[in-house]
Amino acid sequence: PPPRPLLLVTLGPHSFTGEDCAEFHVHGGPAVVSGVLQALGSVPGLRPAEAGEFTRRAFAHGKLSLTEVEGLADLIHAETEAQRRQALRQLDGELGELCHRWADTVTKALAHVEAYIDFGEDDNLEEDVLEQADSELRALEAALGAHLQDARRGQRLRSGAHVVVAGPPNAGKSSLVNLLSQKPVSIVSPEPGTTRDVLETAVDLAGFPVLLSDTAGLWEGVGPVEQEGIRRARERLEQADLIVAVLDVSDLASPQSRDFLDSIIASHGARGLTGSGQRLLLVLNKSDLLPPEGRSSRPSLPPYLLLSCRTGEGLGCLLEALKRELASVCGDPATGPPLLTRARHHYHLQGCLKALGHYKQAGDLALAAEALRVARKHLAHLTGAGGTEEILDVIFRDFCVGK
Amino acid sequence: MFSLRGCGRRVAASLRRRPLSLGRPGSDSAAPGPPHFDVVVIGGGHAGTEAAAAAARCGSRTLLVTHRVDTIGQMSCNPSFGGIGKGHLMREVDALDGLCSRICDQSGVHYKVLNRRKGPAVWGLRAQIDRKLYKQNMQKEILNTPLLTVREGAVEDLILSEPEPEHAGKCRVSGVVLVDGSTISAESVILTTGTFLRGMIVIGLDKYPAGRLGDQSSVGLAQTLEKLGFTVGRLKTGTPPRIAKESINFSILNKQTPDNPSVPFSFLNETVWIKPEDQLPCYLTHTNPRVDGIVLENLHLNSHIKETTKGPRYCPSIESKVLRFPNRVHQVWLEPEGLDSDLIYPQGLSVTLPAELQEKMITSIRGLEKAKMIHPGYGVQYDYLDPRQITPSLETHLVQRLFFAGQINGTTGYEEAAAQGVIAGINASLRASDRPPFIVSRTEGYIGVLIDDLTTQGTSEPYRMFTSRVEFRLSLRPDNADNRLTFRGYKEAGCVSPQRYERASWMKSSLEEGISVLKSIEFSSSKWKTLIPQASMSVNKSVPVRALDVLKYEDVDMELLASVVPEPLRKYTECTELAERLKIEATYESALFYQLQEIKEVQRDEALQLPEDLDYLTIRDVSLSDEVREKLHFSRPQTIGAASRIPGVTPAAIVNLLRFVKTAQQRQAAAQELPPAKPCPPAAHTFQEL
Repeated sequence: PPPRPLLLVTLGPHSFTGEDCAEFHVHGGPAVVSGVLQALGSVPGLRPAEAGEFTRRAFAHGKLSLTEVEGLADLIHAETEAQRRQALRQLDGELGELCHRWADTVTKALAHVEAYIDFGEDDNLEEDVLEQADSELRALEAALGAHLQDARRGQRLRSGAHVVVAGPPNAGKSSLVNLLSQKPVSIVSPEPGTTRDVLETAVDLAGFPVLLSDTAGLWEGVGPVEQEGIRRARERLEQADLIVAVLDVSDLASPQSRDFLDSIIASHGARGLTGSGQRLLLVLNKSDLLPPEGRSSRPSLPPYLLLSCRTGEGLGCLLEALKRELASVCGDPATGPPLLTRARHHYHLQGCLKALGHYKQAGDLALAAEALRVARKHLAHLTGAGGTEEILDVIFRDFCVGK
Repeated sequence: MFSLRGCGRRVAASLRRRPLSLGRPGSDSAAPGPPHFDVVVIGGGHAGTEAAAAAARCGSRTLLVTHRVDTIGQMSCNPSFGGIGKGHLMREVDALDGLCSRICDQSGVHYKVLNRRKGPAVWGLRAQIDRKLYKQNMQKEILNTPLLTVREGAVEDLILSEPEPEHAGKCRVSGVVLVDGSTISAESVILTTGTFLRGMIVIGLDKYPAGRLGDQSSVGLAQTLEKLGFTVGRLKTGTPPRIAKESINFSILNKQTPDNPSVPFSFLNETVWIKPEDQLPCYLTHTNPRVDGIVLENLHLNSHIKETTKGPRYCPSIESKVLRFPNRVHQVWLEPEGLDSDLIYPQGLSVTLPAELQEKMITSIRGLEKAKMIHPGYGVQYDYLDPRQITPSLETHLVQRLFFAGQINGTTGYEEAAAQGVIAGINASLRASDRPPFIVSRTEGYIGVLIDDLTTQGTSEPYRMFTSRVEFRLSLRPDNADNRLTFRGYKEAGCVSPQRYERASWMKSSLEEGISVLKSIEFSSSKWKTLIPQASMSVNKSVPVRALDVLKYEDVDMELLASVVPEPLRKYTECTELAERLKIEATYESALFYQLQEIKEVQRDEALQLPEDLDYLTIRDVSLSDEVREKLHFSRPQTIGAASRIPGVTPAAIVNLLRFVKTAQQRQAAAQELPPAKPCPPAAHTFQEL
């Protein structure tokens, strides 16, 4: 039978906080929890709790004795710190940079709208102050929308990071998958095109939950079944958090290898890591086939790892590299559950996006500024900044206002 | 360090004669000794006049002490009142029956509402004011206010006595000493000394002590305050030169005409004293690179600019504009100083260069080529007291019954001063009669934001009101200040006249009735579209649309709505103010719905009072960092809400403070449960003293 969730309702004043409370007890691990959190976050009027908010409410309703409060303050301190660390982790890296950039954009736009309200009549502000703010906010709205629609980010934690092994036919992809999963997932044969569909398996790689996919070799296949396999492989590549690109080191000059290098690796390099956040590890397999004097001169390659699936040589290095990449994809699981932070993140970005929509529709400038204040407040939950003084600082930095 | 014994002696006798905790002793004018008043206000500027009048309105026998009666109500800087944010403050002062709005409606020469196109929440009521008329009208008002006495004199010192044990503070003020040695005893004292505390006027390299050009500054008082342990800071401000009107070539400049019709400042007035066609225009000109050149070449002759004393970022001198934004053209507004004045005030040209260079600078500006400078601009440097040393009722933490209002608290502007004046006047009066303080919250008014910012954050530059400082800007609007403050002022402070109270009550009930009628009228959006084709509504078939939602649209007003639904809407168009206010309510209705929760949260935190006598530096069994202790000790927040707004006070510290709130509440509850014969501890103390 499907797992049944439990909804526990405790009515105030007999609940922990003294208010009416509902607890959701759900089965099924991070995917379900994350789904429930997201669903709750989209109910109007519901929001994630602030640090220590439950205990604070309990205290405000007289549910905690004075002696308990001493510990409570420490608890809140700890919770605040944990949340701060978690937020910092989340903000470390690409996403953090984005958040800060978004917050800066909103702060600046708000400051300019505020300057136009408070000083527009008396002082000669530039004519296009509002138009500039408008166009920057339109761009932000688009970026936020795209970010939120990017399903991959939500997927990552639900079922682990998506690691896709790809490469030209017969490079040893299936051997690598079997090696990493320590079980025979894929049929291995020296015949190119053995793997026709995407085969996936959940594995634990260096402590990270990973969904490992073996794909068909990318080449211009002949039959319709092979072509479908290749189509699926490409689709899977699009969704990957981490691509492990496998090439036969003894076969780098072949048209299939060149083709793969040109299409997948080069395009990935051009897109860079900042575009989609997708990462790539280049593995040159069959190092055991290399002549002892080393390989002859090759077209320039991005950084790569040498591996022999047959002898296991280079596996240690590969695992290290995988661990490094996965840590940046998932966050380090040893440092705390990022699930809640992510739900909070999602909630505030969604809130910010909604507020930007209100900004566009606002009937007057006071309402427009109000929408921006709401948008900024949401981003401030993620970046920590956000006082009024900061707005005034921008106003006085950017404009010569005063009589 | 100040010795309490030294200044306590002078008053020990009076303390015995007058057991203050008994309450107001009344006017025992028959008794020998110094004259006695409930409230003494020092200073006759914008804070002082409002404070004195407010205290008198609250029923206190009030004395206003000023250097010279003929400078009461003097507008010592710009010849205008109001503006964006400042207009909001004036409406709130008026809602508490304050003076400046009514006086401005009698004294303006050019009325104009700023921000017309930006939404009614940020409309800025503003007017050019005839200085002479304002002063005359203000003096007439002050000299004819019942219970209010005016006396000329300079205050040299405060009379201090033993503190009342049931309140925090190291001593209490019980009167003032004038320069001539005479004394006046008082229940409460309000200091509104403006820039007079060690005021210093600066022109070029010349400096001389003065509060305002032609007036002496107060040094003795500044020393007393410092001795008492008040933290004193220094600020600077400036004023532009004045130019002879007939020497300006207005014909080549942009002319700005006043509004028609004029919008009055006061809720009591339907119009202003002067017709739009009789009002005076303003003119606009600009600076140019020659002005920049004169400023930059003569920085060495300009000590005001070189010094580090903090000046405002937003009302800057022409020197700081040139330095911070080089190669730009800056606006100069040429404003009339009055109907029969031959002076023009060049707003934007505040300057402290030596006089001859000021003249050179002026004549390099378009339209001013032949301008005659009547007197030069100058800078003022003055002491202010860190406003974190006062409570939201504007009483000082250190000295009981001593109140500060106006520039002394680090603010700039007539309106900011007036707003503080009203609050100080009301609270000095309430304190004198042992009634609880009257505090305006951030959720209730710009006055609340102003005072909360000052008392929790302090200020390092002259503080000016902006609408961007106000988080609940959509609900704290110029149109509804009466609804927010008049009723409280009437019931809690007694500072509002019955006529005003009745008018505000009528308006409130009419608005409520109108809104519920507008909510009850519902048609399909397609029907609305045929009725009112002007409204750019999106047609959504399933949901009925309320008349209130239709009123939101830019092109719709009550007049138009009533023309298509005459019954029952016609009657709401009969009073123009009511019709306009309904439209404004409709504009913000949905946005305010979302803000309500937030306002409630702030109000909940503000209902949690912290004990007045909490010693943050020594309280034990509480884990507060030294930094947080210092901050709490200095600002002495009165509520959890205020504490949470002090920068650096953590959520954990807030929970620790909550504990003290609970303890205090429990103590109170326990005291209330006792039979009435056994009063609660503070009262018991008073009882024994008797």
